[in-house]
Amino acid sequence: MTSRVDPKVKEEVQRFGARDLSLCFNCGTCTATCPLSAEGPSFPRKIIHLLQVGLREELLSSPEPWLCYYCGECSTSCPREANPGETMMSARRWLIASYDCTGISRKIYTSRVWEWGLIAAASLLVVLLFAIFHGPIVTDRVALNTFAPVEWISLADHVAALFALSILGTNALRMARSILGKNGVSPLAFVRALPVFFVNLFTQKRWKECGESQREWILHLLLVASYVGMMVIIIFFLSWFQTDEIHPFFHPQRLVGYAIAAIMMVVPILFMRGRVRRDKEIHRFSHPTDWTFLILLFLIALTGILVHVFRISGMPEATYAAYVIHLAVDAPWVLVIVPFGKWTHIVYRPFALYLLAVKEYSLREAVEGQPETA
Amino acid sequence: MEGKVGVFICHCGGNISDYVDVEKVKEAISGLPGVVVSTTTMFACSDAAQQEIIDSIEDEGLDGIVVASCSPKLHLHTFRGVAARAGLNPYRYVHVNIREQCSWAHRKDRDAATEKAVALIRAGVARALRSESLERFRVETRPSVLVVGAGISGLRSALALSEMGLSVTIVEREEEPGGFFRKVRNAYPGGLDGREVVDSLLSEVAARENITLFTGAQVVEKKGTVGDFQVKIRVSDGSTVTLLVGAVLLATGFEPYEPAPGEFGFGHPRVVRLPEFLELLDGGRGMSLLKDGDTVAFIYCVGSRGTKGCEEARPGDYCSRYCCGAAVHTACRLAEVFPGVSQYHLFRDMRTYGKLEALYEEASREGAVFLRFPGDSPPAVVPDGERLLVRSKDTLLGGEEVEIAADLVVLVTGMVPRENSGLVEVFKVPVGRDGFFNEVHPKLRPVETVIDGVFIVGAGQGPKTAQEAVASALAGSAKCASLLLKGYVELEPFVAEVDRDLCEWCGECEKVCPYGAIRQVHCEGKEVAEIVPALCKGGGSCVPACPKGAIDLAGFRDSQIRAMIDALAGGGA
Ligand code: HEM
Ligand code: SF4
Ligand code: SF4
Ligand code: SF4
Ligand code: SF4
Repeated sequence: MTSRVDPKVKEEVQRFGARDLSLCFNCGTCTATCPLSAEGPSFPRKIIHLLQVGLREELLSSPEPWLCYYCGECSTSCPREANPGETMMSARRWLIASYDCTGISRKIYTSRVWEWGLIAAASLLVVLLFAIFHGPIVTDRVALNTFAPVEWISLADHVAALFALSILGTNALRMARSILGKNGVSPLAFVRALPVFFVNLFTQKRWKECGESQREWILHLLLVASYVGMMVIIIFFLSWFQTDEIHPFFHPQRLVGYAIAAIMMVVPILFMRGRVRRDKEIHRFSHPTDWTFLILLFLIALTGILVHVFRISGMPEATYAAYVIHLAVDAPWVLVIVPFGKWTHIVYRPFALYLLAVKEYSLREAVEGQPETA
Repeated sequence: MEGKVGVFICHCGGNISDYVDVEKVKEAISGLPGVVVSTTTMFACSDAAQQEIIDSIEDEGLDGIVVASCSPKLHLHTFRGVAARAGLNPYRYVHVNIREQCSWAHRKDRDAATEKAVALIRAGVARALRSESLERFRVETRPSVLVVGAGISGLRSALALSEMGLSVTIVEREEEPGGFFRKVRNAYPGGLDGREVVDSLLSEVAARENITLFTGAQVVEKKGTVGDFQVKIRVSDGSTVTLLVGAVLLATGFEPYEPAPGEFGFGHPRVVRLPEFLELLDGGRGMSLLKDGDTVAFIYCVGSRGTKGCEEARPGDYCSRYCCGAAVHTACRLAEVFPGVSQYHLFRDMRTYGKLEALYEEASREGAVFLRFPGDSPPAVVPDGERLLVRSKDTLLGGEEVEIAADLVVLVTGMVPRENSGLVEVFKVPVGRDGFFNEVHPKLRPVETVIDGVFIVGAGQGPKTAQEAVASALAGSAKCASLLLKGYVELEPFVAEVDRDLCEWCGECEKVCPYGAIRQVHCEGKEVAEIVPALCKGGGSCVPACPKGAIDLAGFRDSQIRAMIDALAGGGA
């Protein structure tokens, strides 16, 4: 197969944060040191070379960027200080933008104005909706469900989630088409590979093998657990969670809420501290969108817990105001960051592993099936 | 035969004695008639052993000596010197090689090696007994040099020779002097303008009284020998001039490889060779050729290293040395002039040796992309409308094929020697398979040819950068001057002699002599052949050609050779 070079790719990906791509002289030390590139797909050298040469199609069909968990050992060992780890990170950002059929991803990754403009627009939408449609403002007690009836909120949640999901689904299909290529894939393999998707979605177990310290993986796993928990609650059990009733302290609703909020505030703070200190390879270079991701995540938890604090303290106006702010933070998350931003890694990473497994199962089936057909 | 011969048999440490029974050889030789000394020695070439040989020549009053040792290439002159120091004529020394020809050649058969050594030495003794005292003869040299080629090497040589007091005639085939370097606008390092460099050399040349420059001129004939050549040249107006020179320096340079039609797309208006591309770029005319957003693909090793772009291509097998450096230098220049143009460099191996490596680094910093193609599978260039599709295997992707849609393809052409067949014919200098002049020894005698007095400098000897070409030009000039400034050359005395009584002038000898050393003279009422000693190389072609047996070769007389054959065949000495 002949692939056409595109000289623009190099410049393009540099706008997604890649350091100087001309530094790498393709020695392959990085691939040799990478703990995750042991067998099968080889990276990061190959990906850097594809970027340097500008082989766009090859890149779009490469799952490798999603197999890197950014331990940064390659960057430490690179004799040219070419920062291969960050190049892989930039390749992921570029891929997110390239998979996106709407072109919005590319805008928010390459323009601060677009990124914050869209975030502000989503927030404003929430504020506007509340200004027009809010329920009666009860001031003698806290009546959040009167101010913002839970069925309405739940409906809005579901609409927003559906929007995000349809965008993400479309883009994931585009990714699948690129990675699977034209080679025949057996339908059975799609089913057989499913566990790979879910195991990696919930455990990120490859991260364990990446680098000497497992600290980042454990912190991230805690975050994943709380985030998934929160998502499940919001999507399926919002009425259980958003009540005007004040449960006793040891009630599961309060305990779960506190745990999730604590983790969702502490872990992003630890990550942000790392990014300020630049003390690990994974935190040495920060693209603006990396900050946005952490800041919004932290704000979601912070404003959420504020609503709760005002509510149990019996401060109706403060509770309602905090709630509007909380949703004004949530909305950009679900409408911008989830379908177009860094959140997509939650889908693409396990999905890339899934697609690889699909390919492998198909191959194995073809090999096993051969003696019978022959 | 009268005379006393001493034989010295060398152990060469153990190099000889491990495989040849030198004691037995000594015994076998000592009984031969005429042999008064037969002895072995650990290292014949050692100072002590040399002194012993001298002592025995003097003590025994030897008339000839034989040293049975290593190859004459190594120590012939050493032992001739020993003889001379002992007051014996050096040509009464006979060298016998029992190392390369016996011990090394027959390691597995000691008896046979020993027997062969005895036979060879017997032959040596036979020759030594019949040896005669010969004198090297001197030829006066003319303090003038012919330099062929007025490129940077030729011009620089001429100035160096003139500084050393030699008068110089430069003959340039082109109308305009300066060679290839004149066309270079931006040489690395320092961005030198070749035209300025050439102009300053030319104004120096013009200022020197002892340099004459002929342009549009060609060498047509050479006669004479080292120190005294008569070279006829045809000058621009068609007339001929005969130059009398002591030595000749060939500085004929190179030309860029001309790809075969269609080789890597050659012939397409958007496929150019590197030199032409540089002319466009440096002449500012690249502007009309390229615009922002365009893509340029460079293909390296075109015409070099056996890289064939099509069946009809005739590339050299050698590496042209300069082209990798020139191409990365061009990359930097292109990035400077056209920052918006993308560059792909398809190379085989990056040979930016020495200081050129910095340019390679700079070129990649400037954004040039380097793709390595496998030597046995060079890129293909296919026209595609206005553009050209360059397809190449990428070794860094495991040989996967990539395709570049290029607006311009630059062929990084190597160096080929100028068309020099006339010159080669005239000067009889050997050329290699690649067409470049051959030196005597690639490392130790890089600017000399087997023709005494004819030197080769610059890129005519092999691919060189301008700097290397000038270094070789200066080396050649120094060699030339060291030959001529002495005022004479000494030649080996092995020349043919004609017996005038026997000769009837049939001219057979003249026909076969490759050096034109035989001429017809009138002597004592008849026509006879005469040998010009300065031209005779002692090759002996004439000896068997003479139907009258009138020619003999000093140092290799028929009588000597016959005696050696008899001795080898087991007869007496
Ligand atoms: C399910 C919810 C998830 C959340 C809330 C989440 C959150 C985050 C956050 C906040 C970061 C940034 C860390 C930093 O700035 O230092 C991050 C990075 C990362 N996440 Fe996740 N993640 C989730 C799922 C996943 C999954 C499923 C995988 C892999 C299968 C994964 C793999 C990674 C990796 C390797 C990084 C580091 C490199 C990078 O920033 O891309 N995450 N994640
Ligand atoms: S990124 Fe560094 S280690 Fe990896 S191939 Fe390039 S130069 Fe070598
Ligand atoms: S950051 Fe770690 S996992 Fe990623 S390519 Fe480098 S060494 Fe491999
Ligand atoms: S210098 Fe470079 S381009 Fe020229 S022949 Fe040698 S390897 Fe090829
Ligand atoms: S071949 Fe012999 S006879 Fe004839 S010219 Fe030469 S020397 Fe004389």
